[in-house]
Formats: sequence, structure tokens, C-alpha cells
Amino acid sequence: MLILNLVIQEWKKSYRSQGFYKNLAVSIMLGLFTLYMAAVLLFLGFSLNEILEKADNKLNPLQLFNGGMLYVMLIGLVIRFAMQQLNTFNLPPYQVLPIKRSLLVNFLLLKPLTSPINYFLLLVVIPFSIKSVVGYYSVAVAVRFVVSFIFLVWFDSLMAAFLKRKYGSNLLSFILVILVFAGIAALEYFKIFSLFAISGTLYGFIVLKSYGLIVSFAMVCAAFGLNKWFFSQNYYPENFNRKMTNDKASTVELSFLNRFGVIGDLISLELKLILRHKRTKSLLYMSAIFLFYGLIFYTKKTYESSNGMLFFVAMFVTGFPMITYGQWVISWDSAHFDSIMTKNIPIRTYLNANYYLMVALNIICFIITSAYFFFGTKIIYMHLTAFIFNLGVNVPLLLLGAMYKTKRIDLSKSSSMNYQGMTYKNYLIIFPIIFVPMIVVAVLSYFASLWVALGTLSIIGLAGILLRKPILNSLVSLFHDRKYKLAEGFREGE
Amino acid sequence: MIQVTDLQKVYNGVTVLNIPALTIPQGESFGLVGNNGAGKTTFFRLILDLIEPTFGEVKIDDQRVMRNDTWKTTTGSFLDEGFLIDFLTTEEYFNFVGKLYNKSEGDIAQFLDSMKDFFNGEILGSKKLIRDFSKGNQKKIGIAAALIGDPKILILDEPFTALDPSSQIRLKRFLTDLQTRFNMTMLISSHDLNHVTDVCKRTVVLEKGKIVKDLQTDDDTLKELEAYFAV
Repeated sequence: MLILNLVIQEWKKSYRSQGFYKNLAVSIMLGLFTLYMAAVLLFLGFSLNEILEKADNKLNPLQLFNGGMLYVMLIGLVIRFAMQQLNTFNLPPYQVLPIKRSLLVNFLLLKPLTSPINYFLLLVVIPFSIKSVVGYYSVAVAVRFVVSFIFLVWFDSLMAAFLKRKYGSNLLSFILVILVFAGIAALEYFKIFSLFAISGTLYGFIVLKSYGLIVSFAMVCAAFGLNKWFFSQNYYPENFNRKMTNDKASTVELSFLNRFGVIGDLISLELKLILRHKRTKSLLYMSAIFLFYGLIFYTKKTYESSNGMLFFVAMFVTGFPMITYGQWVISWDSAHFDSIMTKNIPIRTYLNANYYLMVALNIICFIITSAYFFFGTKIIYMHLTAFIFNLGVNVPLLLLGAMYKTKRIDLSKSSSMNYQGMTYKNYLIIFPIIFVPMIVVAVLSYFASLWVALGTLSIIGLAGILLRKPILNSLVSLFHDRKYKLAEGFREGE
Repeated sequence: MIQVTDLQKVYNGVTVLNIPALTIPQGESFGLVGNNGAGKTTFFRLILDLIEPTFGEVKIDDQRVMRNDTWKTTTGSFLDEGFLIDFLTTEEYFNFVGKLYNKSEGDIAQFLDSMKDFFNGEILGSKKLIRDFSKGNQKKIGIAAALIGDPKILILDEPFTALDPSSQIRLKRFLTDLQTRFNMTMLISSHDLNHVTDVCKRTVVLEKGKIVKDLQTDDDTLKELEAYFAV
């Protein structure tokens, strides 16, 4: 009864929050995307048996799947660590009521397990177990397989929550996790240590033996126990709130930026903004993950001939951080916009700082992604063109687009999967920025040649770089007109 | 010097501010009182070019504030939390703002030292971010940041609210001191008539966007204001 009340109150909290009904367009888009993903996963589930049968002739599909199980667990853990929101629950108002604390803690811990997003991968697992496991083994094994997968999801969810609560999600711990994971993958690749074999044995035991599920369940219990232990150690909310937020006052000294005068000061301000807010930090992690996007496409033979697609990937890989950040380059300052407008910062300097920040992001990404140059000279030219085009055309375009985003962005609220302050308009800018050049490349390389296509874009990009001054002048002039709309929009909460 | 000519702000057909002419000479302390919605903050925002006037203009030192950055070098202001950068520590914030006004680190340290009394030992030296301070302390931080660039013009919206009694008295003393020593122009709004008449030599009453009283402060001013606002 009490639990039911808590659930109802949580639900009320979400639909009574302002902005619940506002972003209908965004919700519809997300809904469509979810349906699409579900269809893809379902399709994968039905065809996984055939794929795995062809992949290896010694092991059967289930054995292969079991071998990958620990990898699924680790990847899930990494993704959750980076993206899963901690289920924060406003404890104090309930603490003073006669409700047992352990009940509140259990609610806090177990509620995330009810989120349907957790069980998305079952769309793959269930068809696979029906089509493949039943055929190779028996119905009982298939059921155990599905149940063990659900246990794995629970384990991941609880474990990620514990790690996050205990260690906080700063950039360093995230990089550490990624490195550990990369290390395991490398050891596997060079056949020094095989997690695949361990996983195969472990999950073989869990799935095939009738009492194997006990192991799986014990892991879930252990993860749950760790969480309980954490809460018993940090009895008062103020304690674990401090734990969760103690990384924020870490002062970063970016003294090398001092040399660049006010522009340098503004850029270092912006970097602090990124590093001290959850929402921007998770954007940063997301961007880091998208740098690997190229690995999916550049390695495939199928894409070798479709230049448009390859160029799209090149734009995406070299420009993703710049585009995600740059779209809201002015909105990020919405909470202190009045401050920036009234302190001694000339508008030109302010826009220049934002301009150079995006340029810097672009350069950094270009350098990091130069690792892809090993995939061939074509990739080199594509990245170079994308880089020049981004610098010359997309940076000013993003700055222009940012001036039309008048919604306040609340940085303090939460991390990823946060669509507060976004409307369908925000996605419009993506079209001219990524799809138009992609189409240009596709069309020109079809009718003329790839070199004509890349040359054209490079020339346009170079023109943009050379005309930087006049372009910026007109942006400054436009900003003077837009300033009042921006200030007004930013002052309004949602 | 601030010159206002024919200034009007209309929202959805409702005129929220209408000031045909107003001049605030250099060195004057200008107090603004009025009930909620009288247009005090709107007026300050128009001076600071944060909202667009429907008609008319504001000039600071004979230059229009619109499409202009010059006035920012001589104007210090604090209206609300939007004037703070709340994810910085106080030291970072003062350094950032100080540098914008070409202050050296020595200048900034000296300035902060002079604010010691006002800060009452609570603002500096902790690594706390501004967003974690109480409202009153945030106000002190904002007022200090408005002063760090040695402004000729200081604009404060309700500087006394949320401050504790001792801080209110300190702030009053401090503002009077700034007037006499630096001949600073000051625009201060408040709901507390006592504070305004204590600090300001001229008091203006706004009602529904119009100036209804413009008084040189003397011994009778407080009584006159109290009589005006009595219901």
C-alpha cells in the first residue's frame, strides 16, 4: 500500500512538472525512434541464429552468445555508468513521516529496474532463444537463458548505480572504465587472456545446469547488498548528497588561456561550465563515444563505394562534439546571460570567444580522429574536407542558429537523455550542416568525380574561413537585434 | 550622467513604463520606490539594454546604450541572480570580472580586502561554488562584483532585501562612503522607504510605469512617502 503511494507520488511528480506537455514534437520523434530501434532489434533477434551459425563452425549459436555474455555485461555497465541517471528521490520530506527507512531505500534501488528501457535487449534475446536455443537444447534451457539475461540486466543496473553513488561520475573515472574495458578487449584480441572463454564456461553452466541460475541470482543479490551497504554507511541524505557532488568544486586552472586576453577568459569560463554541470558533462561523454562511430562504417566494404555515406560519417566523426555543443553555444549561458550582457564584454569579443571555442573543438576532434587515416587516403581527404567545411561554414552557421534558440537551458537539472529546453527547431540546423554536404558529395561524385565533390566543398569552406571578418560583422549586427529576445527567453523558467 | 528621453515600454498593448524625460547627473544618488509591478526593474533593464524600448532611448554619457558596448566599461550593476555566474567559486568569479575591467591580480586582492567587513568572513576562502551560497551572501557577491571595476554608475535592484540587519547597515554606510569619496552615480531601488531616504539624495516614486513624485531628500521626505504609500 505504502509502496503504491510512493509510486503514485513519483508519477505525479513527473507529470505535474512544467514542460511535461510542452515538448510533444520531441516526444513523438523519440517515440518513432524507439519504434524503429525496437524493429531493428526484433529483426536482429530473429536473424541472430543464422548469423551466428555462419560465424563459427565449432561452436553453436548459444555457446557463442554465452561467450559474449560477460562482454554484454561490461558494455552495459560502461554505458549505464556514463548515461544512467541516478534515481534521486527527495528523501527529507518522507524521512520525517513514519515510513521505514529501509523501505525508502529499497524503493530507491528497485524502482529503476521497472523502467522498460532496461528490457529493450530482450527484443533480441527472446526471439533468439525461441528460434535457436529451443532447437539446439530444450524449452527449459531457453527459459533459463532469458531469465539469466534479465538477471544480468538487474546486476548491471544495480552495480552501475552503486559505482556511481560511490565514486561519482567524473571524467577521470569514466576514462578509467573505458581503458580497463579496452585493455580486456585487447588481451582477447591478442589471445593472451580470453574473457570469451570464461564467459562461455560461466554462462554455459548457468544456462545448461538446472541449478545454474543460482549463480546469476547471487550476483544480483551481491550488487543489491553493496547498494544497501552504501546507504547504511551514508545514513543521512546530506552525506550522500555530498558524496555525489563533491567533485564539483574541483577548480581547474586553465592558466595557459590567460594569454589570450578576454577571449581566453571567456573560453576558460565556458570550459568550467562544461566540466561543472552534469548535463554538459554527459554530452561530453556522448561525444567521446561518437568518435568511434567511424569504426562501424570505415571497416565495412559495403560503404567503400558510397561516397556520400562515407562523407556523412567523416562529418559526423570530426564534427559531432562541435555540433552538439555548438547548437546551444549561446543557450549554455542562459542562466548568466544578463551578467555577460552587462559586464564589460563587447559583443564582438563574446561572439569571437564562442567562435574560437568551436574552432578549437573542431581542431581537437580532427587531430584525434586522424587515427582513421589508416583506413586509406580517401578517408584522409574526406576528413580534411569535412574539417575545412566545418571551420568555414558550419561554425558560423551554428553560431547563427544558436541566436534563435531562446529557451532557457537548465544545466543543473540532470544528465543525459535530458530534452529540457529543446524543441523540433533544434534539430532543423542539423540538415544544412550535415545532410546538405553529404548530398553534395553524393551527387557530385556520381556525376563528376569524388575529387570535384571534395574540391567544391573545400573551396566553399576556405571561402568561409577567408571571409571570417565580414561574416562575424554581420553576426554581431544580428546579435544586437536578437539580444532582447534571447535575454527575455532566458529569464523565463520553464 | 544618464539621460532618458521619451522612454516607453509596451507589452501586449499595455504600457508598463512611460518616462517622457529624466536626467540623472553624475554623482547623484537616485532612489527608486514603488509597489510591485510599478516598473522599477523594467526601468533598470532598459538602462542596461537588456530589454528593447518600444519608443525612446537611454543615453549614458551622451551615448545611446543600444548597440553599444562603451557604457559597459563605466557601469556596474546587480539586479538578480542572473547577474552572477553561479558555477564559479567566489574567487574565480571576482577574478573573471576584475580582469574584464583590466584589473591586475593585485588590484583585485586589494579590492577584496576592502570588502572584508561587508563579507563578514563568509564569502572568501572557501572553495564553495556561488550556487551553494545563501541568497543573502549571493547578493553580497553580486554587489561586490558590480563594484570591482570602479564604476562611475552603480545600479542595484533591491540591494537590502535578504541581507541581515548588520549587513544592511554596513551596506548603507558603504554606499554613502562611495558617493562622497568617488562621486559615484547610484541608482537604487527598494521596498524599504527608510533605506532609500537614508542613502539617496533624490527619491523618485514610480506608479504603473509613470513618475508620480520626484523629491529631493530632506527631513520630510520619509513622512511624505509614508503618507503616499499608506492604504
